[in-house]
Amino acid sequence: MLPWIYGFNWGAGHIIFLGAFYAVLTAVAATIVSAVVRSRRALLADQAEAIRWHSDFESLPACDRVCRHVLTGEFLERQCPHAFDCRECETHAKLIERHPLARVPEQEEDAFGMAFPLDRFYHRGHTWARLEKDGTVLVGLDELGARLLGTPDALRLPQPGERVHANGAAFHARRRDADVRVVCPVDGEVVETGSAERGWYLRVKPDRSGPMAFRHLLRGTEIKPWIQREMERLQLALTAEGAAPALADGGVPVADIAAAYPAADWDAVCGEMFLEG
Amino acid sequence: MDKEFITRGLRRSSTGRFLLWILPWAALLVFGLYCAGLCLVKGLNQTNMDNRFAFGLWIFLDLTVIALGAGAFLTGFLLYILKIDELHAVINSAVVIGVVCYSGAVAALMVDVGQPLRSWFTFWYPNVHSMLTEVTFCISCYLTVLLIEYLPIVLRNRKLHDVPSFLVFEHKLHNLVYVLAGVGTFLSFFHQGSLGGLYGVLRGRPFAFREGLAVWPSTFFLFILSAAAVGPSFILLTTKLVETLSRKRLVRPAVYRLLARVSGLLLSVYVLAKTVDTLVWINRTSPGSGFEAWQYYSWKPFGTWILFAEIVVFGLLPALVMLTPRLRMHTGWLVTAAAMACCGVALNRFVMTVQTLALPTLSFDSFVSYYPSWQEIGTFLAVVAYGVLVYSFSFRYFSLFPEERELRLEAAAREEETALAGRY
Repeated sequence: MLPWIYGFNWGAGHIIFLGAFYAVLTAVAATIVSAVVRSRRALLADQAEAIRWHSDFESLPACDRVCRHVLTGEFLERQCPHAFDCRECETHAKLIERHPLARVPEQEEDAFGMAFPLDRFYHRGHTWARLEKDGTVLVGLDELGARLLGTPDALRLPQPGERVHANGAAFHARRRDADVRVVCPVDGEVVETGSAERGWYLRVKPDRSGPMAFRHLLRGTEIKPWIQREMERLQLALTAEGAAPALADGGVPVADIAAAYPAADWDAVCGEMFLEG
Repeated sequence: MDKEFITRGLRRSSTGRFLLWILPWAALLVFGLYCAGLCLVKGLNQTNMDNRFAFGLWIFLDLTVIALGAGAFLTGFLLYILKIDELHAVINSAVVIGVVCYSGAVAALMVDVGQPLRSWFTFWYPNVHSMLTEVTFCISCYLTVLLIEYLPIVLRNRKLHDVPSFLVFEHKLHNLVYVLAGVGTFLSFFHQGSLGGLYGVLRGRPFAFREGLAVWPSTFFLFILSAAAVGPSFILLTTKLVETLSRKRLVRPAVYRLLARVSGLLLSVYVLAKTVDTLVWINRTSPGSGFEAWQYYSWKPFGTWILFAEIVVFGLLPALVMLTPRLRMHTGWLVTAAAMACCGVALNRFVMTVQTLALPTLSFDSFVSYYPSWQEIGTFLAVVAYGVLVYSFSFRYFSLFPEERELRLEAAAREEETALAGRY
């Protein structure tokens, strides 16, 4: 559609049509170029992990995206608007200022026969972070996470010196047909890798220190209601994957849940429980 | 075998069953491609079209699928511009339907026009006096937009999502999708309108000729309205069909009702506009061209029943069903009404294409009948098979219905509640 084509004249009709056509082409081209430029910037700024988490989070069912204050009964219903990153949540800041968490006298919380030591902070993707005396942070799988994966068939840990991001991948574990991305609870640099036998998987030199570094993680009295909800989610995930209802009243989960449900689609169950979209 | 490519948590049939499903469609596609090849190599003498009957099955197919594919632009507009978030549940499916419909139409047009190696001529040497130029430009632009909108759906495939650059590009492109939705709406309005305008400006065919507003005949606006009205109906219909075939719940009933409400509302406006247009045509436009309207309907089988069917049976009735809250609650009524609305638009496009050309207009002219050749039918079937294949692969490997997993979990929760209620 060019001005030198036979029949073309600089009349209003042709100019409007050409203008509209080229405006559309420009808008489409600008959109693509803008997306490419933004992507490049994001990749250079090492934002891929954050984007992956946001993408995963948005694809979770609404019931899995509830605010931590719903777990404790402070809200009846509320979706987390910050993808579980309470560090930037004003509502969370106000609520913990008004109602600080009560101190728990016990050393650990026992839920469904599983021990959740209270000396550490828990991510809702079933990892924990414990601040060590030397300022490093140990990262490990919580009891439910460990029982879901059992003894992993394969483990892919980051190398010392690599960076990890809160809500990004801490490490990858393979169990049966499930290739699971286990979420990292803190930002920092890996200084040492561990194993299931040592009880932790990563030792991280955190980027931040102080209460803000762990503000997005669950602790103390939040643990029990959270685990209660997680057990309900697990039961639901197992039922959805064709396994029979998992728990009778008073029952406790077996040490290797994957082995107990050979027919279940373990990839789907783990995706659900480890918050992977 | 291909489980790693299927979205986590979604249940799909085994690879063997999937291959069995696609095999007949692939065979049909191969046969259709052979037919299209014959037409391209040997020319349009392979068809039953001639200088008098220049538009046939393919143009009818083009107009119909483009109208049915309008659900993509309308859903995008309602979701991204008007922020009706419930439609998030069907937007991916709507985009795939749009891609299938528009690319299928462009492919059929390429066979119809012939000389595919010179397809770029239409852009470089356009006939600036032809409405077809506007149609060509808008359709090719909108198909490009649809393909760009389809890209994030593809890049969300489980394996591709593992590649960081694809993941980031998909995310950034999706953030800008409202621009594409706006552009798509603009383009759709114009090409749907131009397709209608194409018939409305045919002064030599008084059956189709219409007066209108400025340079646009009334058919320009009627085509836009009818396409916008049936687009949501077609999404409703295809979603229900996929639910039935896959035996899965894919969207909530409220989404079906919303689609039906939108479709019903637009369809009622269309029926009103079409009725007014028909009355003006009967009483003013047609007599002004030297023909009484009843004359057109004396050529059998195109009796007045066709007008009645188009406006009342496939227009007014489905609109009333979709606008009646009590009937909207029943899936059976919804599906029937949506199917009727889609048939209505197909009938309208058939009338505009085939009936228009069949009727004689000059004193020495005669009524001409047309029946497509097997090569034409084969090419038509190839487009259908291509659509089924693209949709089937998309449904298997991409997440077309984002609420599918959640609905499964909800069903599991109900199952569990029932089991517990039985126990206690």
